[in-house]
Amino acid sequence: MRDVAVLGVGMYRFGMYYDVSNATMAREAGMAALRDAGLSFRDVNAAYVGHIFAQVMSGVRVMKEFGLTGIPVQRIENASATGSAAFREACLQVAAGHADVVMVLGFDKMTTMIQQSTQGTAPENMEDAILPAGFFALWATRRMHERGMKAEHLAKIAAKNFNNGALNPMAQRQADTFITPEKVLGARMVAWPLTTMMSCPMGDGAACAIVGRADLAKKLRPDRPVVRVTASDLQSEKYARGHLFMGPVVGPAQMTIDTSKNVYEEAGVGPSDLDLVQVHDAFAIEELEYYELLGLCKVGEAEKCIEQGDFERDGRVAVSTDGGLIARGHPGGPTGLAQIWETTLQLRGEAGKRQVENARIGLCHMMGGGSVCVIHILQRD
Amino acid sequence: MTTATRPRVPIKPGYFTIPDDPGLPPKLLGTKCQDCGEHYFPRRAICARPECLSEKTSDVELGPRGTLYSYTFVHLPLFGSSNLEHAEGYGVGQVDLPEGPRVQLPLAGKQGEFRIGQTLEAELNTLREDGGSDIVIVRFRPVEAGR
Repeated sequence: MRDVAVLGVGMYRFGMYYDVSNATMAREAGMAALRDAGLSFRDVNAAYVGHIFAQVMSGVRVMKEFGLTGIPVQRIENASATGSAAFREACLQVAAGHADVVMVLGFDKMTTMIQQSTQGTAPENMEDAILPAGFFALWATRRMHERGMKAEHLAKIAAKNFNNGALNPMAQRQADTFITPEKVLGARMVAWPLTTMMSCPMGDGAACAIVGRADLAKKLRPDRPVVRVTASDLQSEKYARGHLFMGPVVGPAQMTIDTSKNVYEEAGVGPSDLDLVQVHDAFAIEELEYYELLGLCKVGEAEKCIEQGDFERDGRVAVSTDGGLIARGHPGGPTGLAQIWETTLQLRGEAGKRQVENARIGLCHMMGGGSVCVIHILQRD
Repeated sequence: MTTATRPRVPIKPGYFTIPDDPGLPPKLLGTKCQDCGEHYFPRRAICARPECLSEKTSDVELGPRGTLYSYTFVHLPLFGSSNLEHAEGYGVGQVDLPEGPRVQLPLAGKQGEFRIGQTLEAELNTLREDGGSDIVIVRFRPVEAGR
């Protein structure tokens, strides 16, 4: 992934917006990213739209908000990893030399989805019995059995992410007091041992990244460091015993291990070189598992590392610095791009109160149901 | 022992049997690969193993007993159910079948009644009524020791 850089990023704060349309959120996030890049929509050569709960034409139609310039527009969907998958396509487009500047725009409105789902007929699917929270709770129970994990470890992860999110103006959940693990444990139970505060919220939002040739980044904004995309990989799962073919299926362990090996090799860095990491923490147990699968700690040592505070903002490697899916929110399409937004700001040294000191290398990891794993590595020059 | 019951209709055909004798457990409807011997649930046309991918597959019945791999209790009503038992929540488990597949389905019972490694048996459970019939799903119930 040589010579591809993030030229600009923008977000429409994640939240619950019953009166704001997808088009409005997408346009504002997109315009913010263009302004950040120092570009006009006239300069954009191609666009990828990440939108999960989509109707036909919803990609090309939302791009008309910016003007009708004739550029190629495609919608990408890969469940929770939609924004990440769209970002990858944009990077490949630039790396292949087909475009100098590509816009990646993710948006979604889960509030609309909720309204629509209550209008439909009764579900007729065996899979409806297993909610994502239930699926990840099964990971947690098994981990307790195998490794002696306790609900307190998950609560410590969630509390960290809430407290990081409180420093992020784009985060959906803004805690007004310091969140303790005890408070997380005392929240309403969703699927034992996961409480509401160990789970991501429903929400709406948009996020945008402009990617382009790395030499353009320096020309457009000579005042700040260039943030390069040095590795990109997307994998779907390989069959293994224990695979589930029914219900929400997200992330067999080997898929994250394999994808991360590829990006470390492509970027020429290892997990110990990372300054910050964003993971798919839709539920706190996921973040714990990904510490090990991404190689941030040894297998079986996640609990010990959590107790030591290794993944706090000032720890060995900062994880979910913007609050993660748990506090920043997870509307769907834009989530992976919110990770790019956060990592780009951090690598430029523009992350304000949540800035990780001297951040140089960041990793963004998303899982998509079905299932897929998408990982990118971003590096400051 | 058979008792008079209302007709039982699966929520979706093709996933499990409905025995004529209500006292008997259902069996899951799966697939066996004729080339490599791997079993799957639910049914599929092509073997999923990357080194096999055989199209020579056939329908088989799986279970009805298995071993609990993991469990949880979901504190939300079961989607699409009008059964009062499901209003306060429901168990969910991953069950390893003796033929090989791991399946993820609802469990009968409460949080404290499940433990990893225990033996469970499939049963039919009424989700709601439809006309004169019961719409049923399949779930697993812990088998009590000695039973």
